[in-house]
Amino acid sequence: MSATVQTKKKEKMLSSAGIKTILLTSMVLPGAIWFFLLRYLPMAGIILAFKNYKVYTKDPTFWNNLIHSKWVGLKNFKFLFSTSDSWLYIRNTLAYNVLWIILGLVVAVAFAIILNEITQKFVAKTYQTLMFFPYFLSWVVASYFVLAFLDPTRGLLDHYLTSHGMAAVDWYNEPKYWPWILTICNLWKNIGYSTILYLAAITGIDTTQYEAASIDGAGKWQQIWNVTLPNLRPMICILLIMNVGKIFNSDFGLFYTVPLNSGSLFSATQVIDTYIYRVMTATNNIGMSTAGGLLQNLIGFICIMIANKVVTRIDEDSSLF
Amino acid sequence: MKKKKRAINAISIPVEIIFHIIMILFCLACIIPFIFVVIISFTDQESIRQIGYSFTPVAWSLEAYRYVVRLGDQLWRSYFNSFFITVLGTAISMLVTIMYAYALYRRDFKYRKFFTFFCFFTMLFGGGLAPTYVVCKTVLGLSDSYAAIIVPMLLNPFNLIIMRTFFQSSVPAELIDAASIDGSGEYSTLFRIIIPISKPGIATVGLLTALAYWNEWFIPMLYVKDAKYIPLQYLLMQMQTKVDFLVKNSSMIGAEASNIMNSLPADSLRMALVVLIVVPIAFAYPFFQRYIISGLTIGSVKG
Amino acid sequence: MKKKVISCILAASMVLSMTACGKSSSTTADSTAAASSAQDSTTAASGDGAAADSAATAESVDVSKLEPVTLKMYFHGSNVTDDSQTMEAVNSYLKEKLNVTLEPIWGTWGDFDTNSVLSLQGGDDVDIYFTSSWSADEYNKFARDGYWVRLDDPENNLIQKYAPELWKTLPQVLINGATINGSDGCGVYAVPGYKDIATQNCWDVNVTKLKELGYTVDDIKNADYYTFGDILKKAKEKYGKDFYPLLVEGAVLERMVDNSIIVTGDSGTGNFMSYYINPDDLTQPSSYGNKILNKFATDEFRKFAEQTRKYYEAGYIDPAMGNANQANDTRSSKQLTGDYLIGTQSYSLGYELQASQERKIEVAMVPTTDPYVDTTSSQGAMMAISTASKNPERAMMFLNLLNTDPYLMTLLNYGVEGVHYNLNSDGLVEFTDKRSDYQPWTNGMGNVTILTPTADQGADFWTGFKSYYGEAKQIPILGYAYDATNTETQMGAVANVVAEYMLPLCTGTVDPDEKLPEFLKKLEENGINDVLDDANKQLDAYMAVKGE
Repeated sequence: MSATVQTKKKEKMLSSAGIKTILLTSMVLPGAIWFFLLRYLPMAGIILAFKNYKVYTKDPTFWNNLIHSKWVGLKNFKFLFSTSDSWLYIRNTLAYNVLWIILGLVVAVAFAIILNEITQKFVAKTYQTLMFFPYFLSWVVASYFVLAFLDPTRGLLDHYLTSHGMAAVDWYNEPKYWPWILTICNLWKNIGYSTILYLAAITGIDTTQYEAASIDGAGKWQQIWNVTLPNLRPMICILLIMNVGKIFNSDFGLFYTVPLNSGSLFSATQVIDTYIYRVMTATNNIGMSTAGGLLQNLIGFICIMIANKVVTRIDEDSSLF
Repeated sequence: MKKKKRAINAISIPVEIIFHIIMILFCLACIIPFIFVVIISFTDQESIRQIGYSFTPVAWSLEAYRYVVRLGDQLWRSYFNSFFITVLGTAISMLVTIMYAYALYRRDFKYRKFFTFFCFFTMLFGGGLAPTYVVCKTVLGLSDSYAAIIVPMLLNPFNLIIMRTFFQSSVPAELIDAASIDGSGEYSTLFRIIIPISKPGIATVGLLTALAYWNEWFIPMLYVKDAKYIPLQYLLMQMQTKVDFLVKNSSMIGAEASNIMNSLPADSLRMALVVLIVVPIAFAYPFFQRYIISGLTIGSVKG
Repeated sequence: MKKKVISCILAASMVLSMTACGKSSSTTADSTAAASSAQDSTTAASGDGAAADSAATAESVDVSKLEPVTLKMYFHGSNVTDDSQTMEAVNSYLKEKLNVTLEPIWGTWGDFDTNSVLSLQGGDDVDIYFTSSWSADEYNKFARDGYWVRLDDPENNLIQKYAPELWKTLPQVLINGATINGSDGCGVYAVPGYKDIATQNCWDVNVTKLKELGYTVDDIKNADYYTFGDILKKAKEKYGKDFYPLLVEGAVLERMVDNSIIVTGDSGTGNFMSYYINPDDLTQPSSYGNKILNKFATDEFRKFAEQTRKYYEAGYIDPAMGNANQANDTRSSKQLTGDYLIGTQSYSLGYELQASQERKIEVAMVPTTDPYVDTTSSQGAMMAISTASKNPERAMMFLNLLNTDPYLMTLLNYGVEGVHYNLNSDGLVEFTDKRSDYQPWTNGMGNVTILTPTADQGADFWTGFKSYYGEAKQIPILGYAYDATNTETQMGAVANVVAEYMLPLCTGTVDPDEKLPEFLKKLEENGINDVLDDANKQLDAYMAVKGE
């Protein structure tokens, strides 16, 4: 008798597991359908990177053109490596990204903790609101502001320098200052965004953990070290992994608009996206732009896979998948 | 009780003062450019031509705003469209995102890995502009409707994964076991138990989604021709891009271009457009923020 | 394992999209088959008369036999918020003339470049597109890639059949400029618009300031760039440290001083290719012959760059002119405030009057050459029929009518008489307030010379216009456009190098002694000679075909 009860129970368990899978799948389904239609279907267009896109004049729909265009192998990728500047833009892209990923992480986490620790919540909210403002301003607008400071003839900074007996600097012709200027601009614009993510993660931390720690006699700094940071780990890891995926991408507006597209600054401002953009103004070849994007994403994909492996080794729960 | 807890747990006063100084400096750096934008938006074009952008212009002017107001009904129509698209789009997007992210958060979900990858992969790889345009327009028939603006940006894999991470860090796995032992169904667990305790995360992702809808002008540009559906950001962007284009190509377009250009308060207009876009969403901001910085009340729910 | 997943997903999505497109293509194939059979019947109908060549004009097409057709037409640069009244009038007229309903798509300055290209690449159902040598759907490249219908195709010569009148009204230079190498051989792929078709670079002189300095316009006329020094020096002394007398657009300045012109086909690269015109006789080649050169390697350029550097160091040129993004804004604002002495300007008829009014100073234009027509300027505004069009014949009839019928042209451009404009006692156009709802870009609409003149222009405006532009000389290589298909890789690399060095050198913000050799070396490393060899080979071939 007990045996039959057990089998019945087992059956019930099985079917409930099945139901669970169905229910959870049904939750995923609307999103999955969207991804399929709007992201996976267009992916057929990736083959543009290997084709010389021409119109199939008999019936010029996009798909017909795509199918009837000639295969050209890896020709569309060649432009990325055939220039004497390849090394320059690769170096710039990677170096800025690595620096900014680390810097962004440290500053954003620090700001989130600071905001969380400030006792007057109203003030903290005000700070947090103000911090988000740069996110609203496009790079074009930001570039006007930077120009107001750095303008060679009537900028505030050169005005200050000359009135204090120092020589004016021709900012838009001197590449050596631009790694700093770009770094400041990037932090200024993006910190508010990542701070809010970390802040929300801190707010979500179970406060009993702090209570337990303080009963154990942990001071505030120890609490931050032992409770806040470990709880932030999943968010830190995920954001890191996702940022690593963009290691070969760059913020076009920042590198193109803020330096006012000044040629003399290329050694500090030329990155892959500006390079591809300038190639496209010359050739306007959809195959080449697709190829450039594909390469960027492939490199990002490989980096994410590696980063994810590393994170999985250290802490499986924080990994991406 | 609460006050006492806070007092014990608070950082020392000198440290807090340092914190305030850091924050004030950074916030000044963030807000001054915006004040600058507001000032320029009220600056007379003549003054900009003479002394450039300045905190202390020679002459003030409302011309830029007058120029925008001349759009008349279209302006209010577009304001309405923007609100409508943002509210509806964010609501639908959040619903789909939360359900998807929640399933990914569930370690006991059989296809978890597959669907995580399915979502993540699209963060890196896409078909590019032209193929997406063709799919949206010809396969899905998205054009000249609100759906044509809402649907193409319904999901963002980045936000989705962030949402999952919020679930991971704020929902203990035991809670789900407990709910399932209590006989709560999957959907009711999600909506009755999980969502209420994940408010900070939901508010954050909701904010990011709402901002994305509010700021979007490219998708309306591609899919909407009928002025009835044009959202504010695109309406204003049209003016902006027109100014930029004319400045760049004036030699090709000829005398007509310089006519149009001279009738535009180009620089102050650019800034006035920024003000018109930012102010409404800045007012909506505290609504989300309530949940993001909410002090100490959440822990007790989890018990 | 993961690789498998990716490949599966990719494969699945491709298979699915293939089937999707398979379906859609089969349906469209059906409809095009239907359309083409309809076409066959119309061509057969008019074929009888076609033997009579020009007699078979659009007028002689029997409207009652034509199927009703909707034509979609993509315009550039329009500022149209309400076209209902205009389109009603246009369509009732077109119905009667051609049994056509026109559905305009009013592209704006901001969205045309992105949207028209997507629309073309996506094979959207649009019949006629605006195209030109400078818009994103660039005439020459898109003709080569097969987006435009060849209008004078020997097997189906649409121009001969449906638009002989139009072809008679256009100046020969325009037709020559539109004749290019496209996907169906050397021919015409769009109807060129008759607008300001000539290029003439001028010194834009602020006469008010010049007189204050004790000079006259003649002093500028008798001087050249290399002898401006004294005048500029005086101006700098008089107006102070913050006054920059030479207001230049780097690229234009270089062309003016060196008599080089834009070679169509490398516009995105900052025009590193140069063809040198002969200022004494524009129709003849210069001492360089019909050759395309690397402009930066010539002696002219070195001399120019050195002089410009001297002017820059003397404080005659604003440093802002050296950054691409700042230069345009600064230049237009300084022009408007009259804060300059000598500027550069590519001229269009009547510009000095307009500029004098706007800037509230006396402006004079001192040309450096006679007006000439080159490929770029002759292709300034065109209308092309898309290969995706189901009714290219009717589109051609429509273009013929639009470009030859003053009533239709004026209606589509200026709106409805009595609503958008009124005629004054002299029969000239005076716009009403309603005009602000309906402002298409006039020069983008085709043959503007058949428009009713506006009161501002005066009754004789178009006569003067035609004599100025109609008499402009064509340069020897008119019609030539470089096809970069074989050298795209090099073009891309060179574009980046040119973007780095050209503007600073042309505005003097860097020292040519140091930067010019560096620049030339980098250009060679990135394959500029491959491009030039290819370009010259194409030019020789083109000239040979043209000479026949």
